[in-house]
Amino acid sequence: MTSRPRPKIGPHLLPAVAAVALFAVMAAAVLTSSFGPAQGFPADANVVASIGRAMFGLPGAEVAGESFLVAFEIVDLVLVAALAGAVLLARREEGGSTVALLADGGRRLVGRDQGDDD
Amino acid sequence: MAVPPSYYLLLSAALFCIGVAGVLTRQNALLFLMSVELMLNAANVNFVYFSQFWGNVTGQTFSLFVIALAAAEVAIGIGIVLVLYRNFDGVDVTEATTMRW
Repeated sequence: MTSRPRPKIGPHLLPAVAAVALFAVMAAAVLTSSFGPAQGFPADANVVASIGRAMFGLPGAEVAGESFLVAFEIVDLVLVAALAGAVLLARREEGGSTVALLADGGRRLVGRDQGDDD
Repeated sequence: MAVPPSYYLLLSAALFCIGVAGVLTRQNALLFLMSVELMLNAANVNFVYFSQFWGNVTGQTFSLFVIALAAAEVAIGIGIVLVLYRNFDGVDVTEATTMRW
């Protein structure tokens, strides 16, 4: 018979009170400030095309926006670095220390001689 | 009738504080990464709303970059969780507390 997992309520949840206090401070700051009227986008402006033109620094956007070309190139580099880093981290080392021997594709190699039938 | 700005800001603040609570209290490394994603998306809500508030498309463009950076960070984060799982036989962040000596 299995039982559903229960949430653990205990003193380790105490730092969440700090998050509630942070929300109280931010809510107080928001509710006591006044904003002017919102200037929306023009009704028939092509917002997606404006985003594209702003991202690559092209002129002729219907809605104003600053050029993000340098940021685009930097994010390109960051994404390539993240891809290479993720592949590197996920690499499994063959042999070596026993720390890497705890699981092999889900099959426990440590408990194999203790009567577990796999 | 437009939605007043305080609604959007309160939504963004609530999402961010839920993310902070998750980061501070979560034991599972994957749920920790989910809480970090919550915080980034709270900032995205803010950016998109204020882009509409000022009639400028800069906020929405920047939020696209925030999404891309969040994806890159999660890729590396999941790689680290994988190595954590291999070395500690679990994804409990309270077990991996000391460095190897």
